[in-house]
Amino acid sequence: MTSAIRALQPPQGESLRLESMVHALSGRYVVVAGASRRVRRRRLDTFDRRLGCDGLALEHRNVATGERLVLSRADGSPTVTVTAEDLRWPALASALPPGPVRDAIAPVTGIRALMVVSDERRRIQSLALQNQDGKTVARVELDAPASPASAVPTEVTLYPLRGYDASARRAAALLTGAGLLPLARAAPPARPRPKLHGDDPSTVLLTTVLGGFLEAMGENLPGLLNDVDTEFLHDFRVAVRRTRSVLKLGRPALPQVMRSRWEPAFKWLGDLTTPVRDLDVYELDLPRLEGWLVSADAADLDAFATHLRIRRTAERRTLVRALRSTRYRRLVIEWGEELSLLASTPHHQTPGVEQQEPLSAGQLGSRCISRAHRRVARGGAAIGADSPAGDLHALRKRCKELRYALEVFAPVIDAAAGKRVIGDLKDLQDVLGRFQDSEVQRQALRGFAEEMMVDGTPAAAVLAMGELIGHLDLEQDRARREFDVAFARLERPSSLHLMHRLGGVT
Amino acid sequence: MKVLATYNIKGGVGKTSTAVNLAYLSAREGRRTLLWDLDPQAAATYLFRVRPRVKGGSHALVTRSWPLDAALKATDFDNLDLLPADFSYRNMDLDLDDTKKRTRRLGKLLSSVADDYDTVFLDCPPSVSLVSENVLHASDTLLVPLIPATLSLRTLDQLTRFVADSEGSRPEIVAFFSMADRRKRLHRDVIDTIPRDGTRIADTVIPSLAIIEQMAERRAPVSAFAPASRAALCYEQLWAEVRPS
Repeated sequence: MTSAIRALQPPQGESLRLESMVHALSGRYVVVAGASRRVRRRRLDTFDRRLGCDGLALEHRNVATGERLVLSRADGSPTVTVTAEDLRWPALASALPPGPVRDAIAPVTGIRALMVVSDERRRIQSLALQNQDGKTVARVELDAPASPASAVPTEVTLYPLRGYDASARRAAALLTGAGLLPLARAAPPARPRPKLHGDDPSTVLLTTVLGGFLEAMGENLPGLLNDVDTEFLHDFRVAVRRTRSVLKLGRPALPQVMRSRWEPAFKWLGDLTTPVRDLDVYELDLPRLEGWLVSADAADLDAFATHLRIRRTAERRTLVRALRSTRYRRLVIEWGEELSLLASTPHHQTPGVEQQEPLSAGQLGSRCISRAHRRVARGGAAIGADSPAGDLHALRKRCKELRYALEVFAPVIDAAAGKRVIGDLKDLQDVLGRFQDSEVQRQALRGFAEEMMVDGTPAAAVLAMGELIGHLDLEQDRARREFDVAFARLERPSSLHLMHRLGGVT
Repeated sequence: MKVLATYNIKGGVGKTSTAVNLAYLSAREGRRTLLWDLDPQAAATYLFRVRPRVKGGSHALVTRSWPLDAALKATDFDNLDLLPADFSYRNMDLDLDDTKKRTRRLGKLLSSVADDYDTVFLDCPPSVSLVSENVLHASDTLLVPLIPATLSLRTLDQLTRFVADSEGSRPEIVAFFSMADRRKRLHRDVIDTIPRDGTRIADTVIPSLAIIEQMAERRAPVSAFAPASRAALCYEQLWAEVRPS
């Protein structure tokens, strides 16, 4: 394993001179300076920084001789450089030229698009450190801003070469001996998280989490509007859904206006985003669906894929129009103001609060978890062999409520117990999710097939969709058979004991 | 990972020049490329300015006392690493003979770096030996440089039979003319009349050019120090013909 790339910088307030670096290194190496070159350097990552979390750094460099993609790894594996042409960002990894960079990036980014996270013009001076045979044993890059106004200061990067680790270590020692310091990269500012306690007023907790969801909606909106990747809409929806759940859970502590105005407002927003998300799920799922086909050919689903794209384009137009409307803008602004008002108003002055005595966050948490668990326990116990699909769907919604309650009140409940209950709950949610998704997908496929037949789609496509419906039947049966075990796990004595600690069993 | 070996029973036919230049071109395209210099003369190692030394020598490598990746060296070119030769490689036959599955040992060693490289070139010594048998089993493609002369064709015939007689998976043989001199009638005749219905013969002909000989002086691939030269363009054409998909 090659030692890691070292990034160095001059001490704060001091400038870095090439001559002094060359002087420091030339006692040991023949230092060959390459031509200084201007580079437009765009650092790429997904919105949720998947590459950075995986120790990968990807740059798109425009130099005089062309475009390059440069992939480096924090573990010191060799840097990989490939030529690129006409890349436009954001783009999915599939848009990268075939080869080692795409092979390394695609499994990490998954369905998320690569975006430009920084775009700078730099002046790069390369130095090759050679031994007595004229062999390059390490490389150094002096990377300075092309414009003095740049916020990113000069950096020195030492690239070790495979099989020449000792030389890289010696070069690093020479550079640090000359006064350079390890580069302290500024981590992206972490979102401040106020510490919450069980005896804090419940409105403090509720406004904090609701404010977080509002922020998440704002962060995901540009990517959603520009259709960068499907996860922006997904994360936007999650924030909306959680907002709706918290409004419902927090009813005893929240003013009446939340129920009368804001619950319907967020229901409108949730409903607005559903059609596009459903179509996204089908499109993302197509490779898996193709794998189910036995008698039909994967190509038979091409007409279905085209139909989905056309539908999605139409639905997205409606969604984007609504999210650019005055109604949405007002909703966001006024919701922010509402939360600020709620956070700054003492309990006794809050109009229309159901509960006369102020509830602490801990009390509200126990009450919500207890109520949500009761509903899950009752709903689950009522499920029998002949229960209609609607009952299982209702139970799934109750499970979601319990899950949100456990997550929202996590800061003020027994965290370890909460985590373990969520583990069991996840299994049950997975079973119910597969059951319900099969139900919904089956109905949707029938609907799509009818629409496509009206459009004159070839019979092969409709037959292939019929095969998928048959597979979904089996999938739903399988999920239904797993239900009893998953529910029993959630209701076993050890889980109930944990739930009791969380206030969920009364 | 695709393995290409430059191989011929005869020496001095352009195996090393081909391996060095094609490996450079592969790396230039962004493929993670390894060149393993198996020839104890260490010419490819010399051309990349790497010292011809492998810790523990051939024996340690073949018996896995030292892992293969500990012997790898970066060249001066992005994406191109070298596994240098060592004079002890002259005994590699004997070292291989002492191991289990002695004809598949080199392939086994290469599989340990399969995740690190897209393309591997083997620059082979001119012989028919246990090392050659290992090369046959480890390679996907055998690149055979031929000087356009009657005896070279006979050598190709011998080599084709050697591959056909070997057990297990066999590499594809791609022969090409190397060190060709169009001024010589014999060279022209051989190039024009070689039967093309048997072993695959590449269309590209690598001419005999002084600039290729200068590689030893410049210690770099010709495509690196003279990218617009005729020799460089010929190697590019050859690479386009044999490049793994």
